[in-house]
Order: sequence, then C-alpha cells, then structure tokens
Amino acid sequence: MSRFARLKANWPGSDAPLRVLAASGQLGLGIPLKAFEAGVARAPHVIAADMGSIDPGPVYLGSGTMAAAPSMARRDLGLVLRAARDLDVPLLIGSAGTAGGASHLAAVKVILREVAAELGLSFTLATIAADVPKAMVQQASIEGRLTPIGPMHADIDASVAIVGQMGQRAFASALTGGADVILAGRACDTAPFAVVPVLLGYPKGPAVHMAKILECTSLCCEPGGRDAMLATLQGDGFTLESMAPNRAATPLSVAAHALYEQADPAHVFEPEGHVDLSAATYKALDPGRVHVTGAVWHPAQTPSVKIEGARLVGHRVVMMAAVSDPGFIAGSDAILQGVHAAVAELIPPTSAAPWDLSFRRYGIDGVMDWPTPPGVPPREVFILGECVAQDAETARAVAAAARQQLLHWGFAGRLCTGGNLAFPVTPPELDAGPAYAFSLYHILELDNWETLDALFPVTFSDIQEDIT
Amino acid sequence: MILSELARVVRSKNAGPTLLTIDVLFADQVDFERGKAALTARVVAARYGRVPDEVSIMAVASAHAVKIVLPRKVPAGAPGDKDVYGAQQHAPLLDVAV
Repeated sequence: MSRFARLKANWPGSDAPLRVLAASGQLGLGIPLKAFEAGVARAPHVIAADMGSIDPGPVYLGSGTMAAAPSMARRDLGLVLRAARDLDVPLLIGSAGTAGGASHLAAVKVILREVAAELGLSFTLATIAADVPKAMVQQASIEGRLTPIGPMHADIDASVAIVGQMGQRAFASALTGGADVILAGRACDTAPFAVVPVLLGYPKGPAVHMAKILECTSLCCEPGGRDAMLATLQGDGFTLESMAPNRAATPLSVAAHALYEQADPAHVFEPEGHVDLSAATYKALDPGRVHVTGAVWHPAQTPSVKIEGARLVGHRVVMMAAVSDPGFIAGSDAILQGVHAAVAELIPPTSAAPWDLSFRRYGIDGVMDWPTPPGVPPREVFILGECVAQDAETARAVAAAARQQLLHWGFAGRLCTGGNLAFPVTPPELDAGPAYAFSLYHILELDNWETLDALFPVTFSDIQEDIT
Repeated sequence: MILSELARVVRSKNAGPTLLTIDVLFADQVDFERGKAALTARVVAARYGRVPDEVSIMAVASAHAVKIVLPRKVPAGAPGDKDVYGAQQHAPLLDVAV
C-alpha cells in the first residue's frame, strides 16, 4: 500500500486538520535547513516543493539545462526525500530541473535515484512527462485553439522544446496509481501542493488558494524569505505559518502575495478550471498566523493548458566597457549609432548571415527605456554590447569590431584621444553561448479530458534500497 | 508627498514572459485610497512612455493594493531584453505625486 493510499484509507474527513509542508519554491537552490527541520517536526501529512519557473528565461527550456547547480539539487533532494521517508508521507515535486522538459526530468531523476541509493531508501517513484508534441500545437493553431498570453508571436516550427503546465489530474493519477514520490515535469506551481488535500475531500477553491500562496514558501510573510512554510487545512479554510519564527504571516502580507506574479489579481487559471479569489478573507489568528477562507473553484467544461516553447535565435557574445568622459556620455546616442553603422560596413549583415547588435548604457537606459533622459548626466556609464549572430565566429567578430570602433571613435570636442573606454576585464568580449527566445506562451485548448491525461503520461518505477 | 513616501511596497515582476506587473501596496485603507487616486492609466503610461490603452490598473481592496499590468516590449530573455525577471521596472513610479 502506498503512503498516499494509507493516508486516504485512514483519513477521518475534511474536518480534521491536514498539514502540508512547502519545503521550497525553488528546490535545488538551497533549502534553509533550520526552518525545514522545524516544519518536519510538525509532522506534516505531505511534503511538496516546486523546482521550476519560467522566470529565468528561455535558455533553460531551449538548452535542456537546469538553473540549479547539480550539487545543490542533490543536497535539497536528499533533505526532502529523507524527511518524507522518515515521516512516511507522500513527496511531490513539480517542474523538475527548472523548465520541466524531458531532459530536465531525466537529469533530476538520475540525481534522485543516486540520492535514494546513498540514503538506502525504497519507494515507488512516479515521473510525469510534460512535453507537448509539435504536431498537436500545429493542429490546435489551425483549428483556432491556440491563444497567446500577452504579446507573443507563435513560432511552432522553430521551437526546439515545448512543455505544458500540468494540473492536478496528472498528480492524482500518480498518487492513486501507487506513487510514494512524484517527480513531475512542467506543472502548475499549485498542483503538487493542492492535490493531496483535494483528493482527501477538502474543497478545491481554498486548496488551490492555499497552494498558490504556499508555493513560494515564506515569501508571503513580513519580512519575506525562502524558509519552509506550513499550511493547515481544515473545513472550508486554511491557516498559514512560516517555519522561521522571525517571519510573520499577516492578513496584509498574505493577501498581497496572492497578487504576486499574476496579471489577474482575482483569478488563477489551471487546466481543470479556475479559482476565484475575489471573496477571500484573511484573518489574523495571532501575530504570525493567518486564517484564510472564501476562495471558490469553478471547474472548466473542457481542459486548457498553458504551454511554453523556446527557439534557438543564434549565438551570443557580450562586450563590456565603461566611460567617464562627459563629452562621450553627452554624445553617446550619435556615437553608438555611428559605431553600429561602421560595424555594418565592415561586416555587412546578409539574409544568409544576419546579426543583431545592441547597446545598453547603464546610467542612462540600461535597465529600461526611460521616456526622458536623466535630469543630471551620470558621472560614469557602463556599456554592455550584445551581439547575436547565426554563428559564434560572426558574433565574436561583430562584438570585437564594435569594441574597437567605440574605443577610438572621434567625436566633436573629444579630449580623450588615448581611448574612449575603460575595460573592466580582458578580453572585453565574452562568449555567452547559444541564445534562445520564447517561441510559445499560449493557452492550448483541448477537446476532452482524455487528451489532457494523455499529454502528461505517468511512469512508475520501483526504487530499491540495493540499487547501485 | 510622492509615492515612495506613501507606499509600503512598490514591486515589479514578470507575470509570465510577455507581461509586466507592478504591485503598489499600502499600509491602510486611507493610504490605499490616496494612492489609487493618483495612479491613473494616464499617469502611469506617461511614466513608461506608453499610451494609456496599454496600461491596465486594478485596485485590490483586501490587500490595500493597486496592480498595474503592462505588456512587455520584448519577451523575457529575448535578445535586447533589459530586465529578464522584470524586477527593476518600478522606479519610474516612485516620484509620482500622491
């Protein structure tokens, strides 16, 4: 009997307190130990963690690599695995290896097996893939079932990887199929936290609301942090508390966190429906704990999946230089335009060998395109040149040519004829490797639930103590 | 008074790779009402060199919060993007008169 089956068989009902421990919102980037141990000491009925995000950009999805250092992923996986087996409770991990694609899932599974062997643990592991076939997206596009989220031009053919965010059904299927530990590919942040409460009969609105807040652990507290967070569900509500004593969950801090990274503050959409938070209430139980009620779940008639795709755009080289000359800073708009034109004359971009060169002037417009120039000119400006070309050699050549043009560019009133640039390092051009861009960030509508379930296949494997 | 003196939090972040969301959180109902009145689509658009139609503003009374959503000019992490996480796009609002 699996850990979940035993939990379900013995569960008294949704009037009983159910404790969900959120170990990490970024498994693999270092779980703070003290708070996690405090959480484990509270005897949670389930441990869950999120391991991925789209925030770090398209490179991880496109290249199949993960943002976490493998050694830190190993440490964090060891912590949660040992705790879950010591407590004998299910462990659920979503969005394996940052982007949750096939190669990420495979890489994390290897680490998980190694850690289990080192710790001498046996359990049933379920992995859930989240890769979306290109043909399915193309068909959906033809049939008008593909909708961009915000300004995003779909480039299906050029996509090198496409993943979909699975909802609770895939996790539920793994749990009812006998999984003790679930390692999922790309998943809704909420799914690994919400699924056990929902399967045990707790209302879905509050369960998903709880999960939405819990998935970032103690970020919803005052002061926010990355320490483990505990949710206790009971009846139609739930109570939140940080496992770090200095982090207080307050009605305002928790209500504000429900807005975090959401374009729509009142609705959170998932494959199986959406949760409406507009009637949610937040009540302080004491200075550190908040009780939340009122979220309402609305099931969807047909499923829809948020999909993410990445394409290779070329090879990137960056160039770093800085300036203190006031004449150069004042004239930098025209200087940079002149440099770009001069480089294009030296290395003409063609349709067969295109390249793109841009400059960010930190101190002027490095962080954003301000509508007006700075009131007082900055004393120093850092210039980051970025070249993306079809191949590494062209990118290097363009960046080097731009650096040399900039260094010796003549401008009206120039005094600094020794050179215009202060280089912080040598060489000032750094190879940044293959460059990716998102090619899909869309809602994929599906006709039926069987198609949804088939998209996120569950694979069971027995992890044995003696495996080597 | 300006927004940075009135608000408790002014934070920006991606809401996915195509949208930027800015949350302005206030300590109480009075400050929230005052901030809400100042943060109009026209004022915000001017600060970012956008047109008001591009700016969506929602008030969330339960959190004493004003949420602003802007489309990103470039998807996060694409060549030319200046702020992959969108976490430093709040500054133009800090000196809005409230």
